[in-house]
Amino acid sequence: MKTKGAPYAFLAPALVLFAAFLAAPIVYAGYLSLRRVKVSGLGLGAGARTEVWAGLGNYARSLTDPEFVPSVLRVGAYGLIVVPVMLGLALVMALLLDAGRTRVGTFARTSIFLPYAVPAVIASLLWGFLYLPRVSPIVDVLDRVGITAPDALSSSWVLYAVANIAVWGGTGFNMIVLYTALRAIPTDLFEAARIDGASDIQIALRIKIPVIGPSLVMTFLFSLIATLQVFAEPMTLRPLSNTISTTWTPLMKVYRDAFVRNDIYSAAATSVIIAAATFVISYGFLKLVGSRAFSQEN
Amino acid sequence: MKKTLASVFAAALILTTAACSSDDSDDTPAANPDEKVALTYWSWAPNMDKVVEGWNASHPNIQVTVNKQDGGDPAVAKLLTAIKAGSGAPDVMQAEYQKIPTLVAADAVADIAKEAGDLKAKFPESAWNAVTLGGEALYGVPQDSGPMMFFYRSDVFDKAGVQVPKTWDEYAAAARTIHQKNPKQYLGTFSSNDPGWFAGLSQQAGASWWGVQGESWTVAINDATTKKVADYWGGLVQEGVIDNKPMYTPEWNAALNDGTQVGWLGAVWGPGVLEGNAASTKGKWKTALLPNWDAAAPANGNWGGSATSVTSQSKHKAQAAEFVKWLNTDPAAVKALAGTANVYPAANDATSVALTQPPAFFSNQPDFYTIAAEAGKITKPFTYGPNVNVAYSSYNDAFGKAAEGKKAADFGAALDTIQQATVGDLKNAGFTVAG
Amino acid sequence: MAVDIAPVPVAARPAPKPAAFRRTSPTATVLLLLGAAYCLLPVLWVLVASTKSASELFNTFTFMPSTHLFDNIAFLSSYRDGLYWRWMVNSAVFAGGGAAVSTLVSAMAGFALAKYTFRGKSLVFNLVLAGVLVPAVILAVPQYLLLAKVGMTNTYWAVLLPSFISPYGIYLCRIFAAATVPNEVLEAARMDGANDWRAFVRVALPMMRSGLVTVFLFQFVAIWNNYMLPFIMLGDDKLFPVTVGLSGLLNQGATQPAMYTSVVTGAFLSIIPLVVLFLTLQRYWRVDLGAGAVKA
Repeated sequence: MKTKGAPYAFLAPALVLFAAFLAAPIVYAGYLSLRRVKVSGLGLGAGARTEVWAGLGNYARSLTDPEFVPSVLRVGAYGLIVVPVMLGLALVMALLLDAGRTRVGTFARTSIFLPYAVPAVIASLLWGFLYLPRVSPIVDVLDRVGITAPDALSSSWVLYAVANIAVWGGTGFNMIVLYTALRAIPTDLFEAARIDGASDIQIALRIKIPVIGPSLVMTFLFSLIATLQVFAEPMTLRPLSNTISTTWTPLMKVYRDAFVRNDIYSAAATSVIIAAATFVISYGFLKLVGSRAFSQEN
Repeated sequence: MKKTLASVFAAALILTTAACSSDDSDDTPAANPDEKVALTYWSWAPNMDKVVEGWNASHPNIQVTVNKQDGGDPAVAKLLTAIKAGSGAPDVMQAEYQKIPTLVAADAVADIAKEAGDLKAKFPESAWNAVTLGGEALYGVPQDSGPMMFFYRSDVFDKAGVQVPKTWDEYAAAARTIHQKNPKQYLGTFSSNDPGWFAGLSQQAGASWWGVQGESWTVAINDATTKKVADYWGGLVQEGVIDNKPMYTPEWNAALNDGTQVGWLGAVWGPGVLEGNAASTKGKWKTALLPNWDAAAPANGNWGGSATSVTSQSKHKAQAAEFVKWLNTDPAAVKALAGTANVYPAANDATSVALTQPPAFFSNQPDFYTIAAEAGKITKPFTYGPNVNVAYSSYNDAFGKAAEGKKAADFGAALDTIQQATVGDLKNAGFTVAG
Repeated sequence: MAVDIAPVPVAARPAPKPAAFRRTSPTATVLLLLGAAYCLLPVLWVLVASTKSASELFNTFTFMPSTHLFDNIAFLSSYRDGLYWRWMVNSAVFAGGGAAVSTLVSAMAGFALAKYTFRGKSLVFNLVLAGVLVPAVILAVPQYLLLAKVGMTNTYWAVLLPSFISPYGIYLCRIFAAATVPNEVLEAARMDGANDWRAFVRVALPMMRSGLVTVFLFQFVAIWNNYMLPFIMLGDDKLFPVTVGLSGLLNQGATQPAMYTSVVTGAFLSIIPLVVLFLTLQRYWRVDLGAGAVKA
């Protein structure tokens, strides 16, 4: 196509919206992260409060907050649980569906995909009911057969309780992605192996999984990004237990600083740190696996 | 397939335009200020819109629209963000007493002393102090108050042979007896999720977490008085005779319903909560004054309660102040606040004007509001500071850990953590802090 | 929480046909049913719970259904003059309107990135990729402050406008346009005298349509499930989407009881439209990240 102005015209709406609702807020957050409010005296009355430059003070406070490092480590541990379990389940389910040795495929596929339709806030509410010992049917049933279930929201289990909600919500989606990739494998790639007597499991391990490698890499990357941003689930469960603090994950700290403590400057600084970390981890991962997924050229 | 796509787009666009245009007509401001003034009022009290109908009917030129909010915390968070942004705040705002210093410090609420006139005689002193911060300015008119009260299952008490506790020692003894007779039952729970509740209990003991000393703030969250309260509760939790789970959870609801939580240190608005959460237990509850530290000198604390303030962004301060004054002093309005919005009006004459009948859930206790009035009368003074939100969120975290660990020593230590966080925040912001 | 991922429709094999010529495997069936049970359990719980009255919700065995579903729906519908249904309509407006516009914007941008060579192309593309990585929570506050400066907070637009831009959508549409619209076809259209816009509308869009439906569905679900942006932007509860509205019923502050029955019933009802959407448009949920990536 040759018209010179055309690509810019096509891009114009996206660029305007991008500038207004992504670029400008990020630049503004960067600006805010370098500012602070300075109060004098009792701080009462209109003139007692002025906004001044803070240098890197907000960053220093964020990074030295005693709750910050534990919350980062916690998200790391959370990711180590969620990503492998979710993708493992998704892969197993996708392979089972693709192998076609069952009559319940459509039902199972739809059911497993269903949680994707449930907003995280509502999903956490539902699981909250299923976790709390006195209202949980799971605890109830186990109790009747003589097993005392552990309190899911106690300090030793709460990480798994939150991770479970994420696994529940995300497995179906990733399963669909992987299943679609599996369906795209030409039959002749593994028909020969099958005639040679290879089992379904052998075919899956030796042929199917390597072929859908790129899809696995991408689902891994996007799951990783979502993991770093974990927020809605612990936020909804927090008032139900003693074990989830207001700074349980870095994004919860952003929320607390911005909306509970009314300190948007600290919140902005923490935001910038999280955004930078997300970039480093994502690009680092892509470099590591050498994927050209994000490359531009056709 | 093309059809599907087209119809999805079409339906979506029709919905968008329809909804947006209907919204535009709602929000169009009056062109001429002499004609009509439209005010918005953020409140989380139920049915506040019905209360305001009474005003709108008699004031055709000052029409008030109520925007229901999720509750005190989110409403203040939104208000402060709107103040920072320079637009988006309502004209009138329901604000909990403990948030008023924060709102004043953020220049979010207007001084309406001139517009409202002298109302001091109409309200109890503690409420009036909360809206004036002890000075000449008036940052809101007291709307409702929340003197704490003790609710208990009289049937369970009778069965266990427990008397209504008059002192905290008796409360502890009652908690032990009840839990021993039925290990599933608790007289109460220590809630790490309700800093306002613990502040009220500390207030009763005589604490005042903030204070003004000349031109500087004082913070006394870990003083001996509050430590006494924390140690008391820590002891009961460690002993296991008081539950350690937060209130307002599905679990707490279930416990109120199935009779495993048999007492609640609530406040005057408690009947509504009990009715909503455990309607099936109606008729089994009774109320009394809070147990006391010193039976000879009964005292009380506040939990909840709020004022109606005019925001600094309102372009119609005079009209807004007039509405605020009406809402909280006009006999018909006070009656509607009590009967329709289900709050306990702060106005002194509320008991005679509006609260002649006990709440429906306590129809078995005709003297309900007599006890409430007594509870209000003996409420101790308490000063809130400009960073209550910092102290409260720190309470959530520190007492969450302490309650989960069930060690009495951690409860006192939690107060040190909160004190440190609160003072540190004040100093960091530049406030002058004494001590 | 689900992840937004690049969908690339592929020419798939027909769905596998079991049994006729291959053995069915009981192990596979059992495993799949276990997976389905795990995913359905909370949904089943909400269905059962929404049939209970307020006191039954906390008193009777969890999976024992009751008969109060219609009472609960009636009560929820009467709450503040049918506010709940207004929330549902709002959600539909935000998700439908936001997804429709963002799909169009993304299609245009993706088309330009895939089919033209121009200065600044790689800069634009890298910006889009960077946008994919930014968490929404971080954007919400500055977005609010900026929108407030032009007085647009607490309106439908405050939620709709930020939903119109979707870096994911652009990224997908670019892969999609590259994979499904051959350059020769565009050249042919051009020979026939079509300008760029006509070539896009008449030739490229129809070829990209099934991918566009996928992009639309992604955005629809993302906006429908969004909580943070509307929570911050809106003060008037008549404008709330269903997520924010329901969470408000739950967190009424200490002085009000949480409306669990209504929340549970409302949660159940709010899942239905999305389930219907999923089932009817299931064939569009064909997403292959890898294919697009490898081909690119």
